[in-house]
Amino acid sequence: MRITCPHCGERGNEEFAYLGDATVRRPDDAGAARPGAPEFERWMDYVYLRDNPAGRHRELWQHVHGCRAWLVVTRDISTHAIFSVEDARAAALARPSLVARDAAS
Amino acid sequence: MAEIALSPPLSAFAALARHGRHGRAEGPAGVVVEELRGLALATVIARKGRAADLAAACRASFGVEPASTPRRTAKDGLAVVWSGPGQWLAVAEKGHPLTAGGADGLADALRGALAGLASVTDQSDARGALRLSGPRVRDALAKGLALDLHPRAFRPGDAASTWCALIDVQLWQVDAAPTYDLLVARGFAGSFWHWLEASAAEFGLEVR
Ligand SMILES: [Zn+2]
Repeated sequence: MRITCPHCGERGNEEFAYLGDATVRRPDDAGAARPGAPEFERWMDYVYLRDNPAGRHRELWQHVHGCRAWLVVTRDISTHAIFSVEDARAAALARPSLVARDAAS
Repeated sequence: MAEIALSPPLSAFAALARHGRHGRAEGPAGVVVEELRGLALATVIARKGRAADLAAACRASFGVEPASTPRRTAKDGLAVVWSGPGQWLAVAEKGHPLTAGGADGLADALRGALAGLASVTDQSDARGALRLSGPRVRDALAKGLALDLHPRAFRPGDAASTWCALIDVQLWQVDAAPTYDLLVARGFAGSFWHWLEASAAEFGLEVR
């Protein structure tokens, strides 16, 4: 598998480290200790539960032996075909709630 | 407490590099290597949202425009090598005026000129640096480097952070001869040197 880093160009996947599911979102609330409460279930989902789709998925990778940037790689887990590679910071800032949070800080 | 006299920086490769010819003895050397000693190095990392101001300040103070792609730009012995988004490695050649008082003079000068725009860290003793050339240098590097160095893909001024023989390296092309400068973390100097000696042996390696 070869990954085209948006900063460095195409490199072998041995230069990258897989860092997890890019689709999960940290809940905005502080959480709740009581199982069954919606906040509890949201945090349970965020911390522990992962989908394992046989197909297209968004993943975090880091170009750890290159520019060290965090990336969002959209690929087919069954075929290893890569559809897109984005800079993770840019992808995160493009999400509305994080833009608001960043602007407020 | 008694004052500690710091000795001058030691060469990263001094105990490894045996000057002269190694490997194939016939004909001209296919690979030529020399250690670049006395470089001053510093990492420059842009503060949040200040990359454009940093570039302007760098141009105004040092006459060098830091690249926003994997390139090396240089003026009068001072180079700035792109090493990641918003990150550069500044390299002052041996004897550069900024380092008259010591290699950390480079980091001090950058910190002064880029105050509030960048975080600067002296790296002068952290890396070992080699200059590689010779007609077979690409063939020798290809044994460990998964980077296309063909002139169609990599040209003078191009830079890359990658790994070579499983060792993280930062390299850039100096000229079309071709000549490459390559940096490794100092602790890996020995491993890298042994790999280089073995890989260049069949082409004839000249250590200068
Ligand atoms: Zn990269």
